[in-house]
Amino acid sequence: MTAISFSTNTEFDRLTPRAWLEAILVPAIVLDEAGILLAHNTHVEDLLQHHAAPTLGKAIEGPFRIMADRVRRVAGLETRAWFEQPIGNAWYRIAAYPLRARPDGPVMQAIIATDITKQKHAEFEIRESEGQLEEATRIAQLGTYKSIWDTGAAHWSPNMYIIHGLTPGSPLTGRDRYGELVHPDDRHLYERYAAIQSEGKALNGAEYRIVRKDGSMRWLRLDARVLFDADGQSYATFGTCQDITEGKQREQELRNLLRRNAILYEALDASPIGVAVVTTDSPRPEVFYVNAEFVRLTGYKASSLTKRSIGALIPGDDASQWDMVLEALHTSGGGAFELTCARRDGTTFLGQIEVAPVRDHPGRDATVFVLNLRDITLDRQRSAALLQSQKMEALGQLSGGVAHEINNLLQPVLALSDLGRDIADKDPVKVRKYFEVISSSARKARDIVRQVLTFARRDTPEVAAYPIAGLVRDALRLLQSGLPPGIKLVEHIDAGAVEAVVNPTQVSQVVLNLVKNAADALDGEGDVTVELTCVDIDAANAAALTVSPGQWIKLRIADDGEGMDSYTLSRVFEPFFTTKVAGKGTGLGLSVVYSIVNGWGGALKMESEVDKGTTAMIYIPVVATP
Amino acid sequence: MAHILLVEDSPEVSLSVSEILANAGHTVEETSSGKEAIKALRAGAFDLIVSDIWMPEMDGIALLKEMRGAGNDIPVVVISGCAPNSPLTYTAPLAATFGANIVVYKPFEKDELLRAVASVLAD
Repeated sequence: MTAISFSTNTEFDRLTPRAWLEAILVPAIVLDEAGILLAHNTHVEDLLQHHAAPTLGKAIEGPFRIMADRVRRVAGLETRAWFEQPIGNAWYRIAAYPLRARPDGPVMQAIIATDITKQKHAEFEIRESEGQLEEATRIAQLGTYKSIWDTGAAHWSPNMYIIHGLTPGSPLTGRDRYGELVHPDDRHLYERYAAIQSEGKALNGAEYRIVRKDGSMRWLRLDARVLFDADGQSYATFGTCQDITEGKQREQELRNLLRRNAILYEALDASPIGVAVVTTDSPRPEVFYVNAEFVRLTGYKASSLTKRSIGALIPGDDASQWDMVLEALHTSGGGAFELTCARRDGTTFLGQIEVAPVRDHPGRDATVFVLNLRDITLDRQRSAALLQSQKMEALGQLSGGVAHEINNLLQPVLALSDLGRDIADKDPVKVRKYFEVISSSARKARDIVRQVLTFARRDTPEVAAYPIAGLVRDALRLLQSGLPPGIKLVEHIDAGAVEAVVNPTQVSQVVLNLVKNAADALDGEGDVTVELTCVDIDAANAAALTVSPGQWIKLRIADDGEGMDSYTLSRVFEPFFTTKVAGKGTGLGLSVVYSIVNGWGGALKMESEVDKGTTAMIYIPVVATP
Repeated sequence: MAHILLVEDSPEVSLSVSEILANAGHTVEETSSGKEAIKALRAGAFDLIVSDIWMPEMDGIALLKEMRGAGNDIPVVVISGCAPNSPLTYTAPLAATFGANIVVYKPFEKDELLRAVASVLAD
């Protein structure tokens, strides 16, 4: 690089370097090799602003020093160089030139700084708006492309590459290779789009799928226009390509959701139970939805039920029952009700209504409820009929058993009174015997009638609080003499002074029945164990016994006799079911025991195994522990 | 007059029936179950059996089955506390199907029983 030199002997030659410097309308300085300031023009003050004015003959300081250093660092002293440099809030184009006073003289350096702040800002603005456009297309996942028809060259925007999963600027794929990116199922579509473009026609919203090299599938949308040159000749296609995968996915999700909803609605309409969805946002609950069965049950059309108060179903004179349902809705607890419901035509039916909250947010009170409605009029009639037939069957069994017993007892009464009349004068001893038999038969008949009444619980015996242990001991004492000599009573009475609300006669009846059964099972020889204890029943056992958990009196009467099979055990509480011979058992004993224990609010459990024995357990509620 | 085997578990009924029969001139042997009756049948000869149905050990139906099964065709009068229209299944009509000659329902008048006994004996 040669230094600038001037030709001599001209008018121009008379110009001083200072005049030159001043002629330059921007800040300019001249430095020597060591960076000492040799000269500067007056414009340097514009640049220096608050910095001290440079001093001739001294090393340069301030902004010019920054420039000088950079020039020397980047270009060296003998090279022309220029660059852009921000100083303060301004931008300068710095130009550096080597200067020599004579060809073999030392090299000096002229530095000229031009304020380019305005141009720079304009440039930044353009760059910024370009950047924003690029960012916008990136966000919109929009790429642009331009295909020149003559050459077949294609120009892609960086986003176009990114959309296709390619590195921006990598060699463009030709049409054939582009076709490889298109989803195999959509290649015929893409071929058609390519054909349309090559015919110079526009494309609007052409959709197809590509498969990126990493295997991910994307949905793309093409929009293309034909470009014309100054002569009005079409020469290229310009198009946009948008990745619409997310939109497509949302579309698919929406389609799935709609299909799911449609299925749910169909399912609800196919349900044999009336379903209504009720919202309680407004002061009066509103019906939000009803299914087909609900419409069928009520006779109202869905359109007349939705957006109406649930009160549409309230029969005119029985509004209070619906208040219960509304109360359940407001307290959010739900519930089940049996209500008389009104159809649209005014007829009524017995409806079973279950209300349950729909919890759309855990922990927040529900404002939406689902209401199930069933017409249970027929069920109710059927179960009433069933109950009636069971009653009749029980009544038949009861009357048949009673008739059998009474007939047997009437037999001696009828026959012996007749015979006795004939021989009254001839054989008074025999007649007296007849009377005894007649009288004892009549008493037995009376007892049977009483037992039947106890079973039916028509005569309610008086009950009071008694220490249960004493009553059981009394009953056992009375029993003892009546038992066969081979039967031994083993007593464990350990209930202290615990009291129960019972009737003493009934206690002896219960003990008598169970001990006699046990003795009978032993066939004349063996032990009958009678235990009376206080027990704590936990929740699990309570549920099995159908009693509430807590303290109970337990009366256990056990034998190790012949036992019962499961069939017999299942029937022992049936009235007149007996395994005993006529006269020995009425078949009422255990029925009576069952009935009495129930009357006390207690529970009765029987366990038995053939040849192992039978255990009866009676649980009696405790009244007081003094 | 006939020698009659009475099978009846109730002592009161047994007494009344045997008194009716004895008064009419028959001789009566009393047993209280089917088992006892079988024993008595082996021990002696009878013209007629009068039997209850519901009894311990061996009831009237079982007695009939065993007797008839063994070829014993002594006439049997069944006496039953179950009325013909009783809802209980184990009733007198069943006895007839197992070879009872006649059924008399308790409580019966003495003449009812005697007529039945006479009619069976006449056959």
